[in-house]
Amino acid sequence: MILTARTIVAAVRPPYPYGEELVGQFLFVLKLSWFPMTISTFALCLGAPGLQAAGVLSLFGNLDRLGGFFVVTAVRFIGPIVTAVVVAGVAGTAITADLGARKIREELDALQVLGVDPIKNLVVPRFIALMVITGLLDIFAVVFGMSAGIAAELLYHQPLGGFFATLFANALVTDLAASVAMCSMFGAIIAVVCCYKGMTASGGPAGVGRAVNQAVVIAFMGVFSFLYVFTTVLLATNPELQAIR
Amino acid sequence: MRPAAIGWLDVPRGWLDSFGEVGRFGARVAGLVYSGRVGRYFGESVRQAGILILGSAVVIWAFVFILGLQCGVIGAYFNRSIGAPSLAGLFSAYCDLREGVPYAFGYILSAKVGTGIVAELGAMRISDEIDALEVMGIEPVAFLAATRLLGAWIAIPFLYLVGIGVAYFASYLAVVDQVGDVSSGGYLLIFWTYQDFVDVLFSLAKAMVMTTVIVLVGCYYGYTASGGPVGVGTATAKSMVVNIIMVHIIGMLGTFMFYGANPRAPIGG
Repeated sequence: MILTARTIVAAVRPPYPYGEELVGQFLFVLKLSWFPMTISTFALCLGAPGLQAAGVLSLFGNLDRLGGFFVVTAVRFIGPIVTAVVVAGVAGTAITADLGARKIREELDALQVLGVDPIKNLVVPRFIALMVITGLLDIFAVVFGMSAGIAAELLYHQPLGGFFATLFANALVTDLAASVAMCSMFGAIIAVVCCYKGMTASGGPAGVGRAVNQAVVIAFMGVFSFLYVFTTVLLATNPELQAIR
Repeated sequence: MRPAAIGWLDVPRGWLDSFGEVGRFGARVAGLVYSGRVGRYFGESVRQAGILILGSAVVIWAFVFILGLQCGVIGAYFNRSIGAPSLAGLFSAYCDLREGVPYAFGYILSAKVGTGIVAELGAMRISDEIDALEVMGIEPVAFLAATRLLGAWIAIPFLYLVGIGVAYFASYLAVVDQVGDVSSGGYLLIFWTYQDFVDVLFSLAKAMVMTTVIVLVGCYYGYTASGGPVGVGTATAKSMVVNIIMVHIIGMLGTFMFYGANPRAPIGG
């Protein structure tokens, strides 16, 4: 919490020395995450809402309704979850391992001695990069989720017209905006937890490994708790999301 | 202050590289368990199972509880939107038992248990304790990896079944007490209609395969860690990448295998 406040203060107060590091972190996270992201979203969306829901819907003979169902699940639920899990598990662990390594090699202390603020130069770029990229990866996740939905329709030998019709009839800007906003908050949670755990790593050889372990567990718990609160508030305050067209 | 330079294709390439080695290591460990040679260290297996229960059970159940709440909320609002709020039980039965809980279980298991094993074994490896074991005439793979696998097989089914119960309770809370479109009896009627014992077995099968893979991946990355304390951290992070991909692939293949041809829903003929 204190780290969050200090990060935000350090992010907005000039000077801004972290531009290059920000780009570096951005590309780093993107390069790490794109592959697990693709596989995970496709697999999860094809299995859970794709086949299960298509199975039930095919009993009723209304498989074209799968599009509307995909808006509910893939955009609102699975996209953010998978994004958060992949970013926390892949990028978050890498950040913790990186910062933890610097901590126990005493590079962080050396930075402080040199008069370089580690929060401003290490935490802030990661914080901003994760916030931005988690939101962007969420769109990526939604796209691949939709392609999994298309694959599920094709598996059941359905024409795709009905899928797209119900998909676009039900897709609202609110849904996507909420999904992206939620993911940005996930990115912030993950970045703060992982940076904190990395910067406080200690205790010899097992220290960094244990820091990564704790960081990913805490990040998962924080993200899922936040997801629950956010979904409840979103659905309760936006009645227009509650109609299937 | 530059992060380690990696290319765009490094992650998939590393994943494919490690696939064969993890497979070979896993086959060796599983062989040790099946041939009963791990029986020499049965006490250690029981100790590992105990550590798993004491150290991870609460975290796993808490995580599954949150997922159950989430399933309940989404299901309640979805079924209200199609004009059938009394059928919220259908969504939460599917979401909890068939898909949600196995995935959530896989996530938290790879986060808590998988990375924990890597950190523990990696620390042993780089402080040369594994070599010391070998010198003492104790087979390190059997003593460290196979006992953990056996311990997980002992403990996880019970943890998982309780986890399903926790998720059911959470969904009940979310649907009946939080959203409140359906009465308790109406919810439970639909909820129990849309599942049977075979579904529980399928779900458990998914979770057990995930457990096996996660423990083996954790043991492999911990056992082969190198490069000082920093190497342990890197190995832990790498194991998480592999675990996340594997959890999703196992979940999807399980759904294909168990429900691909037969939705198993009590509708129609």
